[in-house]
Amino acid sequence: MEFKKHILDNGLTIIGEIIPSAQSAAIGFFTKTGSRDETPEVSGVSHFLEHMMFKGTDDLSALEVNEAFDRIGANFNAFTSEENTVYYAAVLPEYMPDVTRLWSKLMRPSLRDDDFNIEKNVIKEEIAMYQDLPQLDVMDKAKALHFASHPCGNSVLGTTESIDSLTAEQMRTYFANRYEPSNIVAACCGNLDFDQVCDIISENCGSWQSQNAARNISFSTGTLESRRDTKDSLVREHICLMSPMVSMQDDRRFAGSLLGMIIGDDTGSRLFWALVDSAMAEVACSQFESMDGVGAMYSYIRCNPDKAKEVMDIAGNVFAALVEKGVSEQELQTAKNKVLSAITIKNELPMGRLVGLGFNWVYLNEYKSMADNVAAVKAITVQDVNALIKEFDPSRFTMYSLGPKNGDNGQ
Amino acid sequence: MPDKCDKHVLKNGMIILGNQMDNVESVAFKLRLPCGESLMPEGCCGAGSCLTDWILRGAGTRNSKELVDAMDGLGLHRGSSVTSSHVSLSSALESSNLSKALDLYADIILRPHLNADQFELSKQLAIADLLSLDDDPRHKVMLNLYERFYPHPFGRPSMGKMDELKSLTADRAKDIVAKGFNLSSAIFSVAGKYDFQTLCDQLEQLFDIEQNTPRPKPTPGQAGAKYTHIQHDAAQIHIGMMTKADTIASADYYNMMTAVSILSGSMSSRLFTEVREKRGLCYAVGARYNTLKDFAGISCYTGTTPDKAQEAFDVIKSEFARLTQGVTQDEVDRAKVGLKSSLIMQSESTSSRASGIASDHYLLGRVRSIGEIKSSLESVDKSTVDNYLADNTFNDFTVITIGPKTIDC
Repeated sequence: MEFKKHILDNGLTIIGEIIPSAQSAAIGFFTKTGSRDETPEVSGVSHFLEHMMFKGTDDLSALEVNEAFDRIGANFNAFTSEENTVYYAAVLPEYMPDVTRLWSKLMRPSLRDDDFNIEKNVIKEEIAMYQDLPQLDVMDKAKALHFASHPCGNSVLGTTESIDSLTAEQMRTYFANRYEPSNIVAACCGNLDFDQVCDIISENCGSWQSQNAARNISFSTGTLESRRDTKDSLVREHICLMSPMVSMQDDRRFAGSLLGMIIGDDTGSRLFWALVDSAMAEVACSQFESMDGVGAMYSYIRCNPDKAKEVMDIAGNVFAALVEKGVSEQELQTAKNKVLSAITIKNELPMGRLVGLGFNWVYLNEYKSMADNVAAVKAITVQDVNALIKEFDPSRFTMYSLGPKNGDNGQ
Repeated sequence: MPDKCDKHVLKNGMIILGNQMDNVESVAFKLRLPCGESLMPEGCCGAGSCLTDWILRGAGTRNSKELVDAMDGLGLHRGSSVTSSHVSLSSALESSNLSKALDLYADIILRPHLNADQFELSKQLAIADLLSLDDDPRHKVMLNLYERFYPHPFGRPSMGKMDELKSLTADRAKDIVAKGFNLSSAIFSVAGKYDFQTLCDQLEQLFDIEQNTPRPKPTPGQAGAKYTHIQHDAAQIHIGMMTKADTIASADYYNMMTAVSILSGSMSSRLFTEVREKRGLCYAVGARYNTLKDFAGISCYTGTTPDKAQEAFDVIKSEFARLTQGVTQDEVDRAKVGLKSSLIMQSESTSSRASGIASDHYLLGRVRSIGEIKSSLESVDKSTVDNYLADNTFNDFTVITIGPKTIDC
């Protein structure tokens, strides 16, 4: 495995992890923009724009784009979060030049009005779809409650109203401001010729003009407020808890990941034994998410609405015990074993490698090999994890729940 | 990657399949036990969902906590599933821990504690999961679809039925384990980094039990209603529809897979283009091939807001019907390269490879090599797909909707 890097004159960075023995290759354009970079007037534009990037260029129609990807058997898609929009494709090695050329061209889309108007319907259908997925809806609303005025609380999808009022011109302006070369990292990995990838990207993206797309970042401890909304059609209580945690730039993020696993991995964690093993809740899991300058520990619990109060009392005791006594050597070692095998398995897949590679560069401007990450996880001590618990006190959290009207809301 | 499947049959009759992979440090295994929902006694629908939790609540010398701690301590990425034919237990892990993991699984299969008090907890969790399905209409619509499409009992829902789950007792469930965990009809598959001889020696020692006779296959009964609507105050109408197709053993299998790919294998496919791209009727639309051993179908899902549901359904139905008129050369070319790419990329994952070889062996009685699948796909061309489609029409559907209003089928 060999790491390579090349920066174009306009600031666009290309990085690659070359693995000649791989059966496939992957490329991704990691654009540092998402809902946290939106103003309320354009809420949802980053995600809508992600859809529009597939609608083609001045030379390619939407159907021609899809056909071009399919002609080379690409496994391709994109995703948008609060702070990143990532376009990716995995292909057999012989198609890597084609797919690199195609994405390089698509990164300068036409954003035509008629495509915009049709796709608006698709976006509104996606918003409706999430309304029927309370397990995801509750996370989105918990983020808004936790972060309040901090931009990480902005909704990725936006609302039906914000999408209705959005114009194609507003989207074009947002695109021009955010998709500038120094705000994009092109990452590739697998069985590929790095110089060839660089030549293709340089040819298609080298003339893009740079400008300043810097983002203001600030930490947030969250509001630590509680709220419950009701919906008659719901059968279960969906609860999301959020507490502050370290950012992606903080080396303590590895300890944060291990802490998340100790609190709420889907087997063998503290919440698992307290709530799932005892059948008090069918789901109780936690995950640490580190972001740009900010971070959070999320827990999701799903249970009988009539037992929500009892469930939250038990969860409260779990967090209180954690704060009082910290974690044990044995549970830390177990969490490490889980994380280390997850790293091994993830790195055997092209998309697993690509996402880790790209995000490390986006946030840290550095390359971390699998061995680096393994060493970082292994080096974490009980004292490191307990220091995080002490500083960020996961027993104090923002709580948002969604359930039926007649539930015992747990607050 | 070596394109050869290792095979060995233990003295007890259990089939061991292996696929060694270069340049990986992980190994994945899957044990398929002949205890799927179609094999459950009448009145026990959902027992599989209880069992997969119950057997982990203590085994061998370890209590529930010690067992889970031991598995987590090895860093196992565990999974379990219940299908029409099997209860499957699987794990992916660093290869150096394989032997220790197998010791634990032997305890789980041969020496589970199956305590009655723990059964009640497993049952409560299964009931809670089933109740949660009402908050996930997209998942619910497909489980209901399979139940009505396949002849009883082959489409029984893996998550169970409320009245049957509630009446399930520990004694009944224990009896299901005793009869269903029949290793003589089980398939153990492994892929990644391992030594086949060492593995077989260990499994022979761990599972040194007498051979049992296989259970008879159930007799197919009636399929369900052609159209069912479940009223629900949802933002979208969730539509599931399914039509008959040939099984994987059919000589036309690769022509059929190419046709399904042209219909819905990618973003330039007909459904995505006609329903979403041109008309903006939905976010999610997709058709896929589903096969059991003796029955198969092409299922399709879409979710769309109520005022667009009828049009979405009509367009999907007309696209299924239009297949009979044939396909273009470009469509065939794109479908073939897509299918070949997916095949190779999936084969990079130890878990999907372990799962794939076991599935092949159960459905076909043998494991296809990647080379064989590639060459079979190569032999597909426009004329073979057109001939297949001329002889097969897709206009008879089982349809389920969940949402605020019905549609005209």
